[in-house]
Amino acid sequence: MSYAELQVTSNFSFLRGASHPEELVTQAAALGYRAMALTDHNTFAGLVRAHQAAKRADIQFIPGARLDLQDGPALLAYPTDKEAYVHLSNLLTLGMRRTEKGKCELYKKDVYAHAKGLKLVIVPPEKMGGLFDLDTGFIADASEYREAFGSDAYLAATRRFRDNDDILLYRLNELSGKLSMPMVVTGDVHYHSKDRRQLQDILTCTREHSTIRNAGFLLHPNAERHLKTIVEIERLFRPYPSAVSRTLEIAEACSFRLSELKYIYPHEITTEGRTPQQELTHLVYEGMRRRFDDRIPEKIKAQIDYELAFIEKKNYSEYFLTVEDICRYAREQGILYQGRGSAANCSCCYYLGITNVDPSKFDLLFERFLSDARDEPPDIDVDFEHERREEVIQYIYDKYGRDRAAIVATVTQLHRKGAIRDVGKAMGLSEDALKTLNDALWDFDPGDFDDEWLAERGLDPGDPQLKKILGLTMQYMGFPRQLGQHTGGFVITDGRLSDLVPIFNARMEDRTNIEWDKNDIDALGFLKIDVLALGMLTAIRKMYHLAQSHYGKQYTLYNIPQDDPKVYDMISAADTIGVFQIESRAQQAMLPKVRPRNFYDLIIEVALVRPGPIVGGMVHPYLARRAGVEPVTYPSPAVQKILERTLGVPLFQEQVMSIGIEAAGLTPTEADGLRRSMATFKGQGIPPEAKARLVAGMLGNGYSPEYADHLTSQIAGFGSYGFPESHSASFAHLVYISGYLKCHHPDIFAAAILNSLPMGFYAPAELIDDAKAHGVTFLPADVNHSQWDYTLEPAGSGYSVRMGLRAIDGIREDDMLLVIAGRLRPYPTVASLLDAGVLLPALERLAEADAFRSLGLDRREALWQVAALGTPATHRKKEKDGTIRITRQLDLFTKCEKEHALEEGVLLPAMALSEHVVQDFATTGLSLRAHPVSFLRKHLDRLHVLSASQLLQARNGQQVNTAGIILVRQRPGTAKGVCFVTIKDESGTTNLIVWPTVLEEYRAAILTGKLVFFSGHYQVSQGVAHVIVQKAVNLNGLLSQLTTDAQTELEIELSRGDERDRDSLAAMPGARNFR
Amino acid sequence: MPGRRYLSIWFRHLITDQHIRHQPAHKNEAFVFATREKNLDIVSFASPAAVSHGIHTGMVLSDARLLLPDVRILPGNPDPGRLLRQIALRFNRYSPIVAVDPPDGLLIDITGCAHLWGGEAAYYTDIVTRILDGGYDVRAAIADTAGAAWAFTRHLKRPLIVPPGEHKTYLPTLPPTALRLSTAILERLRSLGMSRIRHILDQPRTTLTPRFGKELLQRLDQAFGETEEYLLPVVPPVPYRERLPCLEPVVTAGGIEYALTRLLEILCGRLEQEGKGLRTALLQCHRVDGKVMQLTAGTIRATCSITHLLKLFETRIPTIEPGLGIELFTLEAPVTEDAPPGQESLWGGHRAVEIAEFLDRITAKTGSVVFSRMLPAQHHWPERSFRSVLPDQSESNETWPADPRPIHLFDPPEPISVTAPIPDYPPMSFRYRNTLYKVAAANGPTRIENEWWVDTARPRDYYTVEDEQGARYWIFRSGHYEDEQPARWYLHGLFA
Repeated sequence: MSYAELQVTSNFSFLRGASHPEELVTQAAALGYRAMALTDHNTFAGLVRAHQAAKRADIQFIPGARLDLQDGPALLAYPTDKEAYVHLSNLLTLGMRRTEKGKCELYKKDVYAHAKGLKLVIVPPEKMGGLFDLDTGFIADASEYREAFGSDAYLAATRRFRDNDDILLYRLNELSGKLSMPMVVTGDVHYHSKDRRQLQDILTCTREHSTIRNAGFLLHPNAERHLKTIVEIERLFRPYPSAVSRTLEIAEACSFRLSELKYIYPHEITTEGRTPQQELTHLVYEGMRRRFDDRIPEKIKAQIDYELAFIEKKNYSEYFLTVEDICRYAREQGILYQGRGSAANCSCCYYLGITNVDPSKFDLLFERFLSDARDEPPDIDVDFEHERREEVIQYIYDKYGRDRAAIVATVTQLHRKGAIRDVGKAMGLSEDALKTLNDALWDFDPGDFDDEWLAERGLDPGDPQLKKILGLTMQYMGFPRQLGQHTGGFVITDGRLSDLVPIFNARMEDRTNIEWDKNDIDALGFLKIDVLALGMLTAIRKMYHLAQSHYGKQYTLYNIPQDDPKVYDMISAADTIGVFQIESRAQQAMLPKVRPRNFYDLIIEVALVRPGPIVGGMVHPYLARRAGVEPVTYPSPAVQKILERTLGVPLFQEQVMSIGIEAAGLTPTEADGLRRSMATFKGQGIPPEAKARLVAGMLGNGYSPEYADHLTSQIAGFGSYGFPESHSASFAHLVYISGYLKCHHPDIFAAAILNSLPMGFYAPAELIDDAKAHGVTFLPADVNHSQWDYTLEPAGSGYSVRMGLRAIDGIREDDMLLVIAGRLRPYPTVASLLDAGVLLPALERLAEADAFRSLGLDRREALWQVAALGTPATHRKKEKDGTIRITRQLDLFTKCEKEHALEEGVLLPAMALSEHVVQDFATTGLSLRAHPVSFLRKHLDRLHVLSASQLLQARNGQQVNTAGIILVRQRPGTAKGVCFVTIKDESGTTNLIVWPTVLEEYRAAILTGKLVFFSGHYQVSQGVAHVIVQKAVNLNGLLSQLTTDAQTELEIELSRGDERDRDSLAAMPGARNFR
Repeated sequence: MPGRRYLSIWFRHLITDQHIRHQPAHKNEAFVFATREKNLDIVSFASPAAVSHGIHTGMVLSDARLLLPDVRILPGNPDPGRLLRQIALRFNRYSPIVAVDPPDGLLIDITGCAHLWGGEAAYYTDIVTRILDGGYDVRAAIADTAGAAWAFTRHLKRPLIVPPGEHKTYLPTLPPTALRLSTAILERLRSLGMSRIRHILDQPRTTLTPRFGKELLQRLDQAFGETEEYLLPVVPPVPYRERLPCLEPVVTAGGIEYALTRLLEILCGRLEQEGKGLRTALLQCHRVDGKVMQLTAGTIRATCSITHLLKLFETRIPTIEPGLGIELFTLEAPVTEDAPPGQESLWGGHRAVEIAEFLDRITAKTGSVVFSRMLPAQHHWPERSFRSVLPDQSESNETWPADPRPIHLFDPPEPISVTAPIPDYPPMSFRYRNTLYKVAAANGPTRIENEWWVDTARPRDYYTVEDEQGARYWIFRSGHYEDEQPARWYLHGLFA
């Protein structure tokens, strides 16, 4: 006899099932089951994984779901055919769309409306109603179901080894006879093997927010919810053999397979009666004609025809048309975009206007990315301006409808930290203990922990509780925890998308997601379009606008003058603050070494400073070869062909794959599998089998063992963090454009970037300082002159940048728009702004930011006047209400006395320049007047501190003292605990390196200090300079001297948190920090 | 009002000092208390050692950890208000008007008190030494007004005893934070550059109120003594303790009983009035020869019934040896509970009271607690599925599970031998203490796995079986038959 398991809860019923769908299917196959169904609670999320596993294990897989209803007993539902699957998928969509994310609200009547073709198994309560009888409510519901579903309804018979199992089964059998509704055996499986019971208990605790000690009856009393042997099943249900064989009947009836799902790409609307392929050809040729004016080079025409033929063969023309259409929409709306991704490297995309990089120029060969062998859908990612991407997303929803377009899910997996947290919490560890454990296990790798490993980390290997927690954590890691929203991957179908997969509401408003992730839809051959957001595109669009309105230049992404040596000079000098991708400190350190001279160098530069090449140890060999220190050699002509462009060092993802194919003799599919497995097991290197396969292949092809070893370790480091060449090329294009604009229009560049914040690495202060260094003048924000954005104001022959009101922290755009709208003529008094409808808190903030200079008031005078309009207590309360009316009316009553605002006899303390600077920092994070450190130079001189500019004169290895305000503290994962600090004084910035031991000793100074003194060695090589820190002292105390008059003898130090210190300290912007 | 003097006390590390008082080992350690606010753990109090590492109140806990990875984090949410009240009560000996000044200070009206100590200096030294001896770091100052004393405590280096009238010279030099103002006003003063009180005094008074509200002028006037500030003194609670001195020493049991009755009347009357009931009563009889005899009585529920309490003492009065006579009786209620008088139902409402009083009487007679009560505990494992509690803990939200369980459990389970078909069918017969029981009917198995987080016991299969006489037993097999270790059978319980 045989058996099919029909009630299986996997870990996609989050916090219920304790096994992966793959584990369950594999185990079912090993036990010799005829079939297995997956019935997760109101979800299809695990189906594709189980389906794939079943294909491998050669067992029938029945896609299904457990329907938890609001008003009746749960039902297990299995579609018998595709039509029924469609019904079930739509039913779940209905339930999920009417409520919020993570929930599904279904009622009996919904199921009745979608029941056609479904087999439905009623799940009886786990316990008897009374001592010896079924719950009467259940009996009523069961008869109602029988009525509604007819012969498709069954009763589930399950042995859970609880009290009165026999009686329950007996009564169910009785009921089954009475209603003539057959009984069918189910296992109510929650885990594939008995030893997952403990993990299942942990999941229950996490779900119910309790600990293992007080979970009590929430836990299952025994470990019986695993997959059992067929013999055992037969024994357990010996009195009801027909209930066992009925599982096979149902399995047979449910012959539907997920592979039957036919994904149909939407038919794109074509013009003039052309077929999609003809339309595509037409559009590509149109694009070429635009470029070449009918003189299309033969070589390019041949390439295009080759590509078009390929697209036709694979039937992808409509996919390309869709992408083209989305891009066309963006173009029409004036939204900047840029395509990238593997298929984006074909010439077609270039002439369709999807991408901006001409592949023929850079030898980015088409077939390498879209070959027959890699039988997977093409992948085109399109970046849009981040501020306007939502428009594009809503366009897609509008064009195809919410029932045909939705965003792909991402399965959020539990990582070490979350897993330890859940397990530890359930085991009753305190937050503190959890934190300790988590810190100790920062490099926890399930592969290799043993007693020694634990002892090294200060943990007691003999502690059974710890062992248990770690053991459970290991099982738990990698469990799906929730379905998230992919960053922008869209699935579009011709018919209703919910016919294929349930759709649920995302947490974000106006977004809908499907239940399957990227791998799932890949497996089923669905096409996905990535609609991504890129901040730099927003900034570039703003630059173009400013260029047009002030300089009359009409720039587009195509017509920026190419190969401008001035731009490369600037980049080579690492003068790249604000430039896309190459502005980070790591990039700036690399630029003088690489010294890019042409576009391809930029492509390499972008790819080089990535965790992949850094961990893989590719950077130094490349630099050495580029500098001519190391000879460029290739182990074979085949490898030379692949690596020639990168001097024999693999830098791009596809080079790694090509080597696998050419040198190790992998099939393209294997190579792709290698890439995927590296992407799945992020940072965990190559799976050992794949590694062995690589080395063996290369040895077999006559490569030296050293080279094979060397290469595999490079590939391992590469992981998923490497860039494909095509991505680098697309990014390099934006690098060049932003570099060009910075080089030729520093004013426009600065204003546009400042208007697109937050983006990139740098705070406004640094961007403004950098622009000033390039000769741009800035004017302070002012109520009578500033817009919300930074603007260009004519000054002499050129322009100055007027700070926008957005520069002021803590004010809202709506308030400031009132300021701007009310500015019919210049505001004569502070009160006149109140009349324009501006709220008091906003006025106060403007005064604090010194924005009333055009009224002849400095910040204190302005503030004194604002203060007269209302006491802090009253208007602050208003702020919470948010109602303008109340404030206004109140002030109208008392207005007459407000008119003579500056009363006599008022004597405000005069404000020193240093105080103004501190206030500037407090309100805008920067000051156009001076740098705060300049006021402290006298003090610093006494400490023999060198300024940033003096430091440049220092010798390599010289012992130096330096001090400044900390801008950035970074501790990148690739740097093994080394902390990189950037400080700034009035003359510039200085980069420092703090080794872990030094960091440990001067932790407080470095981490809490705003103004910090450092002493250490100066190190300079190849134009890159930094100080290796030996000592650090917190000089925050000096900063407080900028504001308050010197402490009087009479006063004492405030011990409680040094409040006064913090007042002036708070003004200094906090550094960007690592956690 | 002329001539008033105030003392302000500032506990600089109130909560952490208090913790060190209890845990002297933590004295120089960096530790913090943390509370959870909006899903963030915030440092609520930091020890001086932690402060020296840059940790301060209001900091996010993870930032504190970043600064000092091994900072000790203490559980609990200390209440400075309560602590201050407790301390304030102890200071009543210095002045009748001691007021709590949250979050970390006291204000004392010392007008006319200091001369008892021989002047303000001696008074000051006495009080500060006492606090320092108690383990609290403290600053204190004496001045003409409470506001000025407060300011000097926190912002003036010296002098700390400001002679009458001189506060007006010192105050203007201090920052506005010395004025006990709300943060909104301080913030505005700061941004106007008024970093000293004299800057405020420089402005015409009429310009201040529209800008800062009434609060600023009020605090200013309070500090300078232009308006009176009233302190709200703490009032010490009176203990539930009554005394009955006797004119003539009492030597008879009747006399003792009479005295007890009188004391009970007074004490219970007071308890009733305050909505309390006593849980323990302590009667002390002070004999002429200086010996003290005492009796205690405990009750299961809070009560102020004189007759009931009298009954509890009654039987034991003869055990008191009056010796030469008892000259003083005291009756104390060390443990009391809120006992709202509550409306009594028309009938049947006294049942619980009656039972409780009955149990009290038996306990009083036997002299120790002999009762316990079974309550359900949420555990599948039978040995842990109940807990026994004192009879007075009458409230329980838990209900017994519906599954039939035996009325009596053997502890430990009694080994039996069985004849049973494998692998997991109920036995056909079992032998217990050399008696063979034939199983007529059986139900099971109910499989219960061990509570793996506590022990490694073997799983059990439970069966409810009925013998030919109709008696029902709860037996189980420990372990599965296919296990390496042989399975063992036990009789675990009997059904009624």
